[in-house]
Amino acid sequence: MTTSTIAPQITAFATAVRTALADLTDEERDDLTEGLEADLAEAYAEDLTNTLPDPVEYATELRLAAGLPVREEKRESLLAALDQGWKRTREDLVNVIRRNPALAAAWGFLDSLRPMWWVMRAWVASWGLSAFFGSEAGFLPTSGLWWVVLAVAVTISVQWGRGRWGFRGLPVIVMIGNVIAAALVLPAVAIANDWQRNVEYAYYDNGPGDLTGVYLNGEQITNIFPYDREGKLLQDVRLFDQDGKPLATAVQGADGCIDPDCNEVGLWVPSVNENGVTAFNGYPMRMAAEGEKPQDRKPPFETVPPLVGKVAKDNQ
Amino acid sequence: MDATQLLKGVLDVAVLAVVDGEDGYGYDVVRRLRAGGLQEVGDASVYGTLRRLYSAGALTSYVVPSDEGPHRKYYGITPQGRLMLEDQRKVWADFAITMNRLLQEVGAA
Repeated sequence: MTTSTIAPQITAFATAVRTALADLTDEERDDLTEGLEADLAEAYAEDLTNTLPDPVEYATELRLAAGLPVREEKRESLLAALDQGWKRTREDLVNVIRRNPALAAAWGFLDSLRPMWWVMRAWVASWGLSAFFGSEAGFLPTSGLWWVVLAVAVTISVQWGRGRWGFRGLPVIVMIGNVIAAALVLPAVAIANDWQRNVEYAYYDNGPGDLTGVYLNGEQITNIFPYDREGKLLQDVRLFDQDGKPLATAVQGADGCIDPDCNEVGLWVPSVNENGVTAFNGYPMRMAAEGEKPQDRKPPFETVPPLVGKVAKDNQ
Repeated sequence: MDATQLLKGVLDVAVLAVVDGEDGYGYDVVRRLRAGGLQEVGDASVYGTLRRLYSAGALTSYVVPSDEGPHRKYYGITPQGRLMLEDQRKVWADFAITMNRLLQEVGAA
């Protein structure tokens, strides 16, 4: 039998129906369900708004119409029994709420918030999973992979919430999952919040810690281009401040953008003096992309107007 | 009164009548019943009924393989099924006349 053209939910539904008929002989079951996939596929291709019914009820309808005995309750699996019990409890609860107008209004309001919960529990699930692998940090995923996990979790959670992608026993799994998610929501938010704050502290700690660098109006200067009296660009000019400290715009291992759009990052390449000491104050500094030779940086000007002398007066 | 309750009693004869016209597979029979006016008929009820009529010897079945999907199980009527259909047709006709008369008389009274 080829099942390639059958939608997976139909295959899953047919399997669930067969499971519900497991107490019959193989022959009886095959008689009842042979061609079920083809029939269902045709029915649902005809009307796409159709939703698949509950497979257990469907199996009971099949069984009754075929004049076969209805399965006894005690032969149901634990999962199915839990499923049934949960269904009945829910129905009872819904009836109680309906009879009380105040409860009904509150329920209506909470009911509108259900989609929020679907997203929330998906976040808890993906966050918990990333925490298990030690990849959690703050509220949001730490990498593309975890974003994908979050997206998948949200999709599955919302589809389940909307009553899609169901299978036998799912309501019980969702119920247990909801309880776990509800219990974990607060701890997860608390830990994530802690993380978030730690990350912020870390930024503060790292920011001003390294005091090298040359600044102009608060912005870091990454390179310096000296020109001589004739206005020509100079190479390998060493600069020091008034106290003899080197004017270093970068330190060992510092990187920067190779291109204006910062698509590629390269390392600043220092100069070396005759004693073999690296100097980060030789300008213009050159930059090397990883594994490549150092290249000159594009100067802001090819030449500048030549200097003709000093102004005669002082600045005043 | 719910028509689905009435349907349970007459689904056998309805299915036999449909299959008598032309052999059909499960969903095909459902579709023909619905096209014939029995909109509410449940597909599982029809599949179960087909199976029961088959066990009772009123229907034969054969499997037609398909290149594109899973194979289909076709049902055709047997001579015994035809006898059953004729018999139930009479029962239904008598019953319908009786009910119509009863309802009209009560309505007129």
